[in-house]
Parts: sequence; C-alpha cells; structure tokens
Amino acid sequence: MEIKLLTEHYDKPEFVTLKGYQKLGGYEALKKAFKMKPEDIVTEVKNSGLRGRGGAGFSTGMKWSFLPKNNEPRFLLCNADEGEPGTFKDRLMMERAPHQLIEGMIISSFAIQSKKSYIYIRGEYMKSYKIVEKALQEAYDAGLLGKNILGSGFDHDMDVYRGAGAYIVGEETALISSLEGKKGQPKLKPPFPAVQGYLRKPTIVNNVETLAAVTWIITHGAAEYKKIGTEKSAGTKVFSVSGNINKPGVYEVALGYPFKDFLQNECGGMKAGFNFKALIPGGSSCPVLNAEEAMKSTLDYESMGQLGSMLGSGGVIIIDDKQCMVDLLNVLMNFYHHESCGQCTPCREGTGWLNKITGSMLSGRAKMEDVALLDKIARHMLGTTICALSDAAAMPVMSFVTKFKEEFEFYAKERKSKVRGEMVYAESHH
Amino acid sequence: MSLSLPAASKAYIQKELKRYETKESALIPALFEAQKVFGLITPDVIDLLAMEMDIPSSRVSEVFNFYTMFNKKPVGKYHIQVCTNISCAMVGAREYMQAVCKTLNVKSDEVTADGKFTVTGVECLGSCGTAPMAQVNDDYHENLAVSDIPKFLEKFK
Amino acid sequence: MPKVTINGKSIDVEAGTSVIKAAQLLDIPIAHYCWHEGLSVAGACRMCLIEVEKNPKLQIACNLPVTEGMIVHTDNEKVRDAVKWSLDFHLINHPLDCPICDQAGECKLQDYYMNYGLYNPEMAERKQKKNKAVSLGDRVVLDQERCILCSRCVRFTNEVTKTYELGIFNRGDRSVLSTFENRPLNNNYSLNTVDICPVGALTSKDFRFKQRVWFLKDFDSVCNGCSTGCNVKISYNNNGVFRVRPRVNKEINGFWMCDEGRDVYKFVNREYRLDQVVERRDDFAGASVKGKPVALALQEIGHKIKDSQKLAVVVTAQYTVEEYEAFFELFSGKLKSTKFYVWVNNEETFESFDGLLLRGDKNPNTNGLIKTMKKFGIKAGLWKDFEAAVVKNEFQLAVVAAPENQNVYPELNSRLATFEKLEDVVWLSSCVNDRFKNFRWQIPMKSYVEKSGTFINFKGVEQKIKASVKIIPDAIDLIQLSAGLSESIGVAR
Repeated sequence: MEIKLLTEHYDKPEFVTLKGYQKLGGYEALKKAFKMKPEDIVTEVKNSGLRGRGGAGFSTGMKWSFLPKNNEPRFLLCNADEGEPGTFKDRLMMERAPHQLIEGMIISSFAIQSKKSYIYIRGEYMKSYKIVEKALQEAYDAGLLGKNILGSGFDHDMDVYRGAGAYIVGEETALISSLEGKKGQPKLKPPFPAVQGYLRKPTIVNNVETLAAVTWIITHGAAEYKKIGTEKSAGTKVFSVSGNINKPGVYEVALGYPFKDFLQNECGGMKAGFNFKALIPGGSSCPVLNAEEAMKSTLDYESMGQLGSMLGSGGVIIIDDKQCMVDLLNVLMNFYHHESCGQCTPCREGTGWLNKITGSMLSGRAKMEDVALLDKIARHMLGTTICALSDAAAMPVMSFVTKFKEEFEFYAKERKSKVRGEMVYAESHH
Repeated sequence: MSLSLPAASKAYIQKELKRYETKESALIPALFEAQKVFGLITPDVIDLLAMEMDIPSSRVSEVFNFYTMFNKKPVGKYHIQVCTNISCAMVGAREYMQAVCKTLNVKSDEVTADGKFTVTGVECLGSCGTAPMAQVNDDYHENLAVSDIPKFLEKFK
Repeated sequence: MPKVTINGKSIDVEAGTSVIKAAQLLDIPIAHYCWHEGLSVAGACRMCLIEVEKNPKLQIACNLPVTEGMIVHTDNEKVRDAVKWSLDFHLINHPLDCPICDQAGECKLQDYYMNYGLYNPEMAERKQKKNKAVSLGDRVVLDQERCILCSRCVRFTNEVTKTYELGIFNRGDRSVLSTFENRPLNNNYSLNTVDICPVGALTSKDFRFKQRVWFLKDFDSVCNGCSTGCNVKISYNNNGVFRVRPRVNKEINGFWMCDEGRDVYKFVNREYRLDQVVERRDDFAGASVKGKPVALALQEIGHKIKDSQKLAVVVTAQYTVEEYEAFFELFSGKLKSTKFYVWVNNEETFESFDGLLLRGDKNPNTNGLIKTMKKFGIKAGLWKDFEAAVVKNEFQLAVVAAPENQNVYPELNSRLATFEKLEDVVWLSSCVNDRFKNFRWQIPMKSYVEKSGTFINFKGVEQKIKASVKIIPDAIDLIQLSAGLSESIGVAR
C-alpha cells in the first residue's frame, strides 16, 4: 500500500505554484526550522534514520555532521542529475513539487549554515529546469530566499544549473567537477566533499528526494518518520518502476514493503502474456535478482543487501520472460561503455572490453570461454577505481552471467538466443 | 569566414560569467547558447567562446567533448532522440527507432534530405515508465507507438 | 611523525606523506604511471594498488596519506593480481608496436609487463583505433594509440607551464590526448612532456629514431645553457651525445628543464667542434693551416705573449671556476696584465627571467667568473671599453676565452670585426666557425661534458660537473692552456 508522505499532493496541479504549495501547508516546516538551532536540525535528521535516496543510502544526518565545525563558507548542492537507467522519480518530484525541494534545501542549508546552494539538473530535463527556475523566482519574490529570510536573520541564495548530458555527473564529486565548469569527472577521495568539495570548500551533495524528505521530517519530527519503514530503513521511498507491467510509474511506499505485493498491487501485475522473470531493484547498476529471490525480497536496504543486490535509487526494473538476458546485458554494456568518463584505466578499458564481448556474443562471434571471461573481467573492475561506475558496470555482468548462465552459454554455443530462438539485433548506436 | 556571436548572446554569456563563483562554470551555459545560435559547435565556435570567455580553447573543447548534448555533427531542425536503454528496450524502443528511421528514410545520426530530422539512439532519459519515448529538441514525447509514427511526425511541420 | 610498515620494513615519515612516497624512501618499488612527484595526484592509472591491513578494499598508494601504525603490503598475491589486471587494462587497446616505438627499452609498459605480466592476453576483440604520428609543433610527436591517458603531460601544461595546450578529449575508451585541433605544443618546456610520458605516446622530434636507448649510457651534468644551472643527465655513446634530460634537484630546477637547454648538447658533438689548432699563416698568404700540435702552438703563443706589450685578455662566463683560477693566476698573478675585459652576451635581456627556469644570463658561470676576478683583484672592462681601446690601437694581441655555446651569443658575428682589427688573436673556442679564420690562432677547447669543475649559478650555488665523455681528443681546457703557456713564457706555475 502506498504511504504518501512526500507525494500526497502530486496529483494537484496547484501544488507546483508557491501559492498552491503554501495553501497545502508549504513553508510551515521552514518557519519551524528557523525556531530551531541548526545543530538540532542536524540531530533531528540524524535521528530520523533518513538515508541518501540517490543510490548510496548513506545516513544524511551523518553526512552533514562531517562538515568542519567552523565558519568556513560551505555549499549545499542538490543532485538532480537523475540518470540511473530505470529511475525517474526526481523528475516527477521537481515537476510536481518544486517548492517541496526548495523548502527542504533552505532548511538543510540553515542546518549546515550554508549561504549558497545549487540545484544541478540533468540537461535533458528541460521541463524540470523551467519549473524549478520559475519556483525559485517565486521564492525570491516572496522573501523565502535572499537576505534575512522570513526575518530569521538567515541569508541564503539558491541557483539552478543545467547539465549537458553525462551519466557520471550523478556521482557527487563528478557533479562538483561539472558545476565547476570542468569535465564531469569524479574527484579523488580523500579529501571528501564535506571537507573539500565545490571550489575546495566544504560541500554537501544530497539527492532531490532526500532533501524533500527533510521538509517532512522537520514538520512531523524524526520519531514519526522512524515509525515508518524498518529498523535500518526508516521512512518511505519513492520508487519508479518500469517494464512490461500494467501500471509503470512512480510509487511511494514504506521501506520494508514486500516486492511481491508491490508488483501485484502498485504495479498492477505483469502485462497479459508476460511472466515475471527477474528484477533489477534499484536502477541498472544493481545486481539482478532472479524471480525466486525477488519474490522473497522486501523493498529496503537490508533485504536487498542480504540478497547480494542493492536498493540503489529505487529504479525498479521488471524483467519479463520475453527478454533475452544476453541482449539486455549488451544494452547495459552499451550504456556503461558510453558513460565511463575515461579517467581510471580499469573502467575506461574494461567497460569497452565487456561491451565488445557482449556485442560479439549477440552476433554469434563469441566463444564459450567468453562467458567466464566476462565474469573475470568484471571481478577485476570491482573496487579498483575512483568512483563506483566501474562497479556499476561490473555488478550487472557478474549477476547476469551467474544467474542466467545457461542463456549465455546457449547463445555462445548455438549462436542464437535461448529466449527468442534467433540471433538478436545488436547494432550499437555509439 | 569569421564567426561572431549576436549581441544578445554576448550579453547572455557575459551575465553567466558573473553568475557563478568562477567563470568556468559559465562554459556549459555558453556552449548551449552557441549551439542555439550556430546549430552545432565547430572548432571556430570553440575559439570564439574561448576568446569571449578568456578560457583556453583546449579547456572549452574538453568540456564540449565530454557532454553528449552538444552537437558534434549537424543535426536536423528536429532532433529525435529515442531512448534505447534497458526499460525502453524491453518495451520495443529499438523497434520503434528503426521504424522512425525507415519512415524518414535515414540511418541513425543522419539528417533527412529536407534538413528537418535527425534520429539518434540515446541513453536513459529518465522516462522509463512511459516508454518508448523520445526527446525532440527540448521536449519529451512519451508512450510512443509504431502505429502512431505518421501522426507523431506530423507535429513537426 | 607517523610510522608506517611496508612489506615488513618500517619508517617514520612526516604527517601527510603518501604511501607511495614512503615506499620510495624505503626503496620499495610501487608500480605507477600517472603519479609524478612534481605534479598533482590524478589517481587514475590504478597501478599503485596496495593492501592496507584491516581494509578489505585495495587502496591507491599515491593518494593515501600514511597514518600511525599503518601496515601495508605491496607484493602479496592479492595486490599482484590487481596490478596485473590494471596493467592488462592498459594493454588491451595498446598497439604493441614496440619494434617501431622510440620508447622501447625505457617504456613502463614493457617494464611492468616483465614484473607483473608474462601472461597470455585474453583480449580477442577489435582494438580502439586512434591517430598515430600526430605532429604537435616543432619538437613533439604524439601517438594517440600508445597513450595510456595517465594525464601527466596535461597536468604539466596546466600546472607547471600554465599554457593549457594539451587536453584529453571525449570519454571512456574513445578518450584521446591531443592539443586543440592539433595546434603546436611550442612552449619552451614542451619536451618535459616527453620525459614524463611513461610510454611512447609523446616522443621528441630531435631524438626519435636516432638511437635505440639500450645503446646509450647516461652521465650526470649541469646545463650550461643559462645561469640557472639545471641538473641534467646526458645520454651518449661512441657516436656522441644524443639527448639531455633533467635530473631532479629540488633546490635548482625541481623536475624540469627548458627546451632551449636541451639543445646545448649540439655544440658538443664532433660536427660542431674545432678539432685541432688552426693557424693563420702570413707566409701562406694568410691561409689557414691546420694540424699543428697544441703543445707547439702554445709554445709559440707563449713567446708572442712574452714579447707583447699590448695584450688584452677577454673572457666569457662559459668556463669553470677552476679554469678561471688557472687562467687569472697566469695573466694576473704572473704576467701582471691589467687589461681584462668581460664579454657579456645579450646585454639587453641579461637580467630577464621567464618565471620558471630560463634566465637571460645565458652563461653557466657568471658568478664563478665574478668571484674569481674578485679573488685576483681584477677590475675588468666591458665590451664598450674593449672596443674603444681597440679603436685607439691600444692592443696588438688578444687572448679570448670565447663562448662554447655560440647560439647564446647572438652578437658574436658582429663583434668579430673588432677582434679582426688586432694583429694577433688567440681564439680559444670549442666550436668551429668559418668566420674565425682571420684569427692568428684557434685553439680547440673542451666542452662542458669533457671537463671537470665548478659552475656557480645565479643564486650562488656551487655545482660540480665531471669529465664524462671524450669527443675531441686534442681539446684542452683553460687549466691546460695556462700550464702550457706558463711553461713557454717561463713563469713557474
């Protein structure tokens, strides 16, 4: 069952405007926040158990507390560079509730005492950009941004920045590089962004959904938030779901919700003629689960972790029985090959190598040993690079060739897809 | 031929140069602006921006080459970018793209003879629940179907 | 001072020291391509993976600061396997064109393959094709396929010269190193990019295809191209000197040297050298006659000096302190000559500095010359004084310690006329030049690679050079010259 903490008013068109948002209780949390001490807000967020909703799932309050305790200028960056295949929730959140995000950002900025924040939106999301840009203007006009916000004495400026097409920029240090006007390549850690981020100043990067959740947590309190979800996965999560199901879309459910129920209820079950085969639970970088694993999973960090996968960004990809896993893996390898920033050698070269092998396999040129080679290459890309893109490419490979080994071996041997009974069209457009 | 930026674009770039903490942050906005003016970014355009912004051409070019939204080759008046990533692929996006190419009688990345269309397969556009989908210039078009292609193309007259 | 233990060996290092640097201090090699001590840390090649106890994930040694009690392993099975794979990822798209590659023999891909490789490659797919033999201006050639994208050269042009010519364009395995539109990389430090390129991607136009590096030996020296005195290593064999590269000296030149300094070797090799005595013989209608033994020539010159009442001594700042000592001992100490002149080159730009290494004083030993003159109480005139005296016919004979590196004496040719007004000139020179034919004697001098001694650089640092290679067997230095003349004149040394 859906529990709409954040998405309650998403179907009301007036929620996009400042007026409509305020009518439905908007910016009350901010007033409440201004009566709190900044450090108490950090504690509240920490106590809520809120974890980063962009994919990594790191405790938000904890992340904030890594900032140096001094007066050094600091930045808050909202990561709206949503690009993980299967994920489209941030887009909806910006298009339907820009003020919810802006309010969450002002509160968060006040909590960490940042005077400047940016919302970095992926370049393709022109509609989101325009809506957020307009909402920012409304907020400025209403004195919700700028000098002495609502008479609190707190000054804050917020701006929006548009990306130009690069998946890797969703990685927080790459986002910083991009905002700095450089190639969007991840930066070495240490130093971590909380110590040296944007322009080498302390910086916090949070996902759209994370920041929007801060608004709810301040309104209702950490205790209320923690009542929802599981022990280690507090609150709700906004999932975006795709595939051959009856009702693809965006659904907010409590963490810990059984996937089986989610598929049956929210997703409306499989489309007629399609049977459930596999699940990628949190966007394309998460290891695939076979049907059996998926059906016993619950939608939370612990369950997915125990099954060897991840909750990721909550981009639920439902794979049906008409899909050839060799084909789908090649689609994913096209993607990672295309998106590797090229900085670290194992990822730069490895993604290309993997993609060439999956391509060879689809066109019937691969050998049986290549199935094992895919796995071997992927294992050696794991954990060896600056950022997690190398892992993100490696994990699907390892899980696909392990869990659907017979499809790969069949293809290598018979030069055709086990599922489709023929060779799959494999032209890469890159 | 020596290129020049229209006054409005120059003014826009000068404003962007001051908008962020460092001028380099204005590179992406400036490249978008130049693309709007010239259709694609050529080496001459890069030199022009480098001069206008006082940033080395090599830096401008590095940024330009890194991001996919900047055109390296000419594209048609309407750039139909069909997402072919996993969720879209599962519901027929690749077949859709082939059908659009066939209807327009072009290969992917080519410009139609009348200069109106280019069809490109692209990576995830974050519209996985409404696939197949395509971005045409700035706008998303969702829940596309092969049977609707003629009607769909009608929109771009 | 945190203590770190690497492969069982411990060392205390300053806080903030990286593991790779600590390992270097312990003489433990850690493979690396992108790390360079003179540049920022890129952390991109992933060759320096090491294991830190209690950390399940391998770390890169270049970006990991040492912490107290850290225990590091660089050579266990887990690390070796990871490094082998990092190496293989570098090699899968590499063209393996070693037989025609100038870097062969000093290529880090080859070196690490010997250490970590020796396996059967599993890459059976088509390799990425990129451009080969791309000319980047006057000095550097780029092979994009050989490039491993370590970004050292890019960081060099961004961080050291701040000229920003190079960049890495595109993404993933389509990334290419280049200048924008292949524009020339013509800054005066461009060849440092060739030095720091760990593979054969950037090669020197001057050096490439001249020698296989395994036929060369290196010796240490000090650049005599300007008063900075960059520390260098010089590659040579029996056919001469082939290249000059910088040697690390953090006090003087750091890791780098300028391109101009690398050309100095050209004046050392045989084809540019005066290899024997040349004498203008009045009895042969002023023709030049070669081949008189140096000792005999010195004897005759000694007699000439002894008889001469009108002697001028002209010096350039291209010789060693020890040579000046002997030279002034003779002319000032013994002969009490008072007419000394210093020939200063590039007077207008003498005080200039390019902000990195290159100075307008294009002599290695101006301070050594000044110091030695002071010691002998010599008050030397400058060129204009010499010229005026020549016009007034004050001299009949001049002994000239002429420049070794003619290139940095742009006024050389125009000043020869002044010397030509004298009846007899003893022209001490290491280089050959047809325009010297009017001088009575040309004596072949040693170049800086053939003699030992001291240069004192612009800030007073004394640096030793060592005789390391014999190019002109008959060449002498000012010490030998002074001894020969002393004997002939009959003054005890």
